[in-house]
Amino acid sequence: MEILRVEDLRFAYQISPDKQALDGVSFALERGDLLCVCGATGGGKSTLLKMLKRELTPLGKKSGRVLIGGKSPEEMSEHESAATVGYVMQRPEQQIVTDKVWHELAFGLENLAVPQKEIRRRVSEIAGYFGIESWFEMSTDELSGGQKQLLNLAAVMVMQPEILVLDEPTAQLDPIAASNFIATVVKLNRELALTVVIVEHRLEDIIPVSDKLLVLEDGKVVSFGDTRDCVGRLIGNERLLRSMPAAVRIYAATHDISKNTFPVKDTDEVKQGAPRTDTDMGKNSRLPLDVCEGRSYIENNFGNAIRSESVTDAEAPEGEYALEFKEVYLRYTKDGSDVLRGMDLRVRKGEIFCILGGNGAGKSTAVSAAAGLIRPYSGQIKVFGKKIKDYRGQELYRNCVAMLPQDVQTVFTEDSIDGRHPYDLSGGEQQLAALKIVLETEPRLLILDEPTKGIDVYAAEQMGKKLRELADSGVTVVIVTHDVEFAARLADRCALLFNGEITSCDRAKAFFSGNYFYTTAANRMTRGFYDGVVTSEDAVRLCRLNADKQTVR
Amino acid sequence: MKAFDSYNPIVLFVYFLTVTVISMFAFNPVMIAIALVSGFLSTLTLAREGCGRFFIYAAFIFIVTSAANPVFSHNGVTVLFVMNDNPVTLEAVLYGVAMGTLICAILMLMRIFTKIMTGDKMLYIMGSASPKLALLISMTFRFIPLFHRQAVKTERTQRALGRYTEENAIDTIRMKLKIFSMMTTWGLENGIVTADSMSARGYGTGRRTSFSVYRFRRTDAVLLAVLAVFAGTIAYLIATDAVKFSYYPKMSGIAHTPAAIVCYVLYGLMCMLPVMNELEEKIKWRYLESRILGSPIR
Amino acid sequence: MVVIKSSGLRAALKIIIPFIAIPALVLIGVYVFEDKMYAYISLVITILSIVLFISGFEQRKIGTRRMVLVVVLTVMSVVGRFFPLIKPVTAITVIAGIYLGGEAGFLVGAISAVISNFFWGQGPWTPFQMFAWGLIGLIAGLAAKPLKKSRAVLLTYGALAGMLFSFIMDIWTVLWYNNGFDVKLYLAAISTAVPMTVVYAASNVIFLFFLADPIGRKLDRIKTVYGI
Repeated sequence: MEILRVEDLRFAYQISPDKQALDGVSFALERGDLLCVCGATGGGKSTLLKMLKRELTPLGKKSGRVLIGGKSPEEMSEHESAATVGYVMQRPEQQIVTDKVWHELAFGLENLAVPQKEIRRRVSEIAGYFGIESWFEMSTDELSGGQKQLLNLAAVMVMQPEILVLDEPTAQLDPIAASNFIATVVKLNRELALTVVIVEHRLEDIIPVSDKLLVLEDGKVVSFGDTRDCVGRLIGNERLLRSMPAAVRIYAATHDISKNTFPVKDTDEVKQGAPRTDTDMGKNSRLPLDVCEGRSYIENNFGNAIRSESVTDAEAPEGEYALEFKEVYLRYTKDGSDVLRGMDLRVRKGEIFCILGGNGAGKSTAVSAAAGLIRPYSGQIKVFGKKIKDYRGQELYRNCVAMLPQDVQTVFTEDSIDGRHPYDLSGGEQQLAALKIVLETEPRLLILDEPTKGIDVYAAEQMGKKLRELADSGVTVVIVTHDVEFAARLADRCALLFNGEITSCDRAKAFFSGNYFYTTAANRMTRGFYDGVVTSEDAVRLCRLNADKQTVR
Repeated sequence: MKAFDSYNPIVLFVYFLTVTVISMFAFNPVMIAIALVSGFLSTLTLAREGCGRFFIYAAFIFIVTSAANPVFSHNGVTVLFVMNDNPVTLEAVLYGVAMGTLICAILMLMRIFTKIMTGDKMLYIMGSASPKLALLISMTFRFIPLFHRQAVKTERTQRALGRYTEENAIDTIRMKLKIFSMMTTWGLENGIVTADSMSARGYGTGRRTSFSVYRFRRTDAVLLAVLAVFAGTIAYLIATDAVKFSYYPKMSGIAHTPAAIVCYVLYGLMCMLPVMNELEEKIKWRYLESRILGSPIR
Repeated sequence: MVVIKSSGLRAALKIIIPFIAIPALVLIGVYVFEDKMYAYISLVITILSIVLFISGFEQRKIGTRRMVLVVVLTVMSVVGRFFPLIKPVTAITVIAGIYLGGEAGFLVGAISAVISNFFWGQGPWTPFQMFAWGLIGLIAGLAAKPLKKSRAVLLTYGALAGMLFSFIMDIWTVLWYNNGFDVKLYLAAISTAVPMTVVYAASNVIFLFFLADPIGRKLDRIKTVYGI
C-alpha cells in the first residue's frame, strides 16, 4: 500500500525567498519501506523532512502536495498529525523535554489527552520493547548519549506513528551507540512494517539496510529508486560518490575493468528474511553495498597475484617531541578509579597524530590533561620539552597550545562571526569557524577532540585539508577521534588508547593493517587478500594492478 | 503499613499542609511544645543527614526571634525591668519565646517536607491542578543539570583558549559574565530544538492529561480519612476556644479541660505520625528479617 | 492521579471552588485562627492570587517556543549563581518581563522561587516569594516600554525591585509574628535586613547593567528568526 506520496513539492524559505530550497521533488513510498535521503549539506534534505511534519514546517512559500496515507497533513486533525508522523532529530539532549524517563515516554500521549490507563499500558509496552525497564525510573539526565537518543525514539514510537522521520539521528553518537540505534530502527522497520525516512551524515551503515534511496542536490531529485539501482546511477558523479560506502567507491572506480562476476546471491533475503520485490537483476544488482559484498566483488573479479604496493616505507619521523606523556596517572576524585593508568605517549613536532579508542577509554581526559586543564597525580606531561606545571599564568596558551573542544558551541563568545550568527551555520561550518577562532593564538600544538563529530564527508574533507596545511607549516596536530576513516586518511601516526593506557602506536598504515576490528571498511574488505590496504583508493590501485596483470597474461 | 514517604503524594501534601497550618497558627504553649518535640524527633528519624548544622541555625533563629519581641513590644503588665525608658515585660518575653519556638518547629517541619516531597511528588500534585505549570517545572528540572554541565564545559574551553583568567577579581567577574552570556545564547538557540521536539509530539494541541507513576491505594484513602477526622476535630476544638490561650495583658492559664486534652493528644498523634510510622516499619522489618533468615533452620 | 471523568462534575467544581470553597476556607480560617487571622488572611490571599494567575495561564494558549524560552530564562536565573547569595533571579525576571511580556515575567519569577526552594527549603514563605518575584516580572512587563527605552529607568527599577522583594517578605514576617501589622516591628524588620537589601538592590543594578542589553538582543534575534 502506498503510504507516502510527494508531488512536485517546492519550497522557499521566508528569509531567502529567491532560493528554492526544494525544487519540484516527487517520489512515493510503500508501507514498510526504509528510505535513505542523501546529498550534500544545503541540498534540501532537512527541508524535505520538515515538509513531512506539519508542526515543523518552517515559514516560507510552499507549493505541490504531500500525501500521507492519502491525506495531506493540512487535512489532518492536530492530534492525528502529531501521531501519524514520528520525528527524531540530531541532538539527543535537547529533544528530551521532561526530567524523568517515564514522564518522557508519556509526554506525547499526555498531549493527545490519552486517558491514564491507556498511557500506563502503552508506556509499559514500549519500555519492554526497547528494553528500557531498567532505566524507567531514572532521571533523563543520568542517561548516556546513546540511551538518550533511544529514549527519544521510544518517546515517538509510543504514539504509534505510521511514518518515522529521522534527521541525522546518530550524528552526535559514538560509533557503537550509532550502530545500536540504526539496528533498532531496522528492527522497527522489519517487525512492525514501519515506514522510515532517514537522513544520515555518514552512509556506510545505512545504505546497505535501506530499501530505497533519494538523492537530492540543490533541492532537486538527482536519483530515486531501489537502493542498488539508485546507487548504480550515481556512478560517474564524483562528488556524490565520495559520500557512498567504501564498497561502492571501489566498485565505481573498477567496474570498467572487472569481469562482473559478482555472484548474484540475494543477500538481502538471506540477511533480513524479507523477500524482495525487485526482479531487476540487471547490472546494478551486482553492485556491492557493504563490506561482505565488497569483499566478494573483489575476490571474484580480481586476482591477488600482487598482494601489496611496493611503497618505499617513509623514514620514521625524527625530531624533537612536541608532547610527551610519561607514566601519567590521573583520576577525578580521590576515591574514584584511575582514568589514565600509566599512559606513555610521544608526539613529534610537525606530525599529525591520532589517538583512537572506545568510549570511556580516557581519550577526552588525555587531551584535557595535555591542554593543562586537569593535573595528573603522578607522572609527567611535557609540552615542547617543558613540564606543563612550569608554564606560568597564560604562557601555555599564548602561541603554544590550543584546543578545539568536542562541543564547538563553547568556543563562540560573540554572537556574530563575519556577520553571521554562529548558530545559523551548518555543523561543518561551525566546526571550521571554531577552528579559525582557536587558531587565533597561533598555536604550535593544536589539540582536537572529535573534530568530525556530526559533520558529513565533505566537511570532514575540508577539515582534513586545513589540518594538513597546518601540519605542513610546522604545527603539531593531535586528534582524538572515533572516526577511523578520517584518521586513516589524515594521520601520520596513530595510537590506540584502551583502559587508560596506550596499547599500540604505529604509522597510520601499519596501525590499521594490524587491527582487526578497529579499522577501515576498505581494510576489512581486503584482509588476507591484499596487504596494507587502508583507504578505498589503496584497494582500487591494487585491483587495477592485478587486473592489468591478468590482461597481460 | 509502609514507609511514610511511599504514601501517595497528595496524601503526604495534605498531611503537611494541615499540620503546618494548625501549627503555624497555634498559640497554646502546650501545642507549641508538642510541635517542637515532634519536629525534633522527626528530624532525627527522617532527615538526620546534616541536621547538626541545621540545629545550630535553628538555635540562632530562635535567639533572634525571641529576643526581638520584648525589645519592640511593651504590652503586658508584669514589668521585669526598664530599658531606655521602655518597660520590658514578662509577657512580652514569654510571647517572644513562644514565637521563637514555633518558628523553629515550623523550620523543622519544612525541612522534613522538603526532604520527603521531592520534585516528582510536587509535580504530581501540581499536575492535577495545572498540567501546564507542572510541565514548566519539570522542564526546568530537566534543564538545570544540563545547563550546569554546559557551563563547566564552556569554562574549560575558554580556559584552554587562554581567555579565562583568574588573576584578579575584575577579570574573574568579567569572564563569568561572558560565560553567562554565552550560556544564554546556547540555551535560547538550542531551546528551539526542544520546542520543535515538543510540537512534533503534539504539544499545544489542546487539553492534556497528566500521567504519573503514583497510584492512589486503599492505604492512602485510610490515612486521608484519619487525617480528616483528626484535623476536623482539632479545628473544631480550636474554634470553640477549648485551647484558648492569651499572653496579653496577663497570661491566662493553660486549659486542661477534657476537650483541651483531647485536642493535645490528637495534635500530638498527628505530629508524631511520620515518626511512629518509621518506627513501626523498622520493628516490622526486624521481625520479618528474623523470620526470613530463620526459616531454613526451622 | 485523581482525574475527574465527568465533564459536568468538572464544570461544577470550576464554579464551586472559587465561589463557595474559597470564601468558606477564608471564613473558617478566620474563625479557627482568630488570634492570627491577619497572617492567615495574607497567606490565603497570596496563594489565591497565584492560583488565579496560574489558572489564567492554564487556559490561554501560549506558543510552545515562547514557553521554552520561559524555561530557559528560569534555568539561567536559578543556575547563575555567581557568588554565594548573589543571584541574577531578579534581573532575569525583569528582562523576561520586558522582552517576553508580563505573563512570562511572572512565570520566570514565580517558578524560579519554587525551584530555588527545592534546594534551599520549601515553606510557608514559598508563596510569598513566588508572589514577590512574580510581581516584579509582571510589572516589568507592563512597563516594558519605558524600561526598554531608558537605562536609568531600568536600573532604578532594578534597585526598587530589590527593595520591594524585602519589603513584601517583611510584611509577612511581621504579620505572622505579631498578629497584626505593627509599624515599629516592621521598621525593625526592614532595618535588620538593610545589609541584605542593599546587596540585593546593588546586585540587581549590576546584573541589569551588564545583562539587559546582551540578553535582550539575543531574545530579539530568537523572536525574529523563529517567528515567536
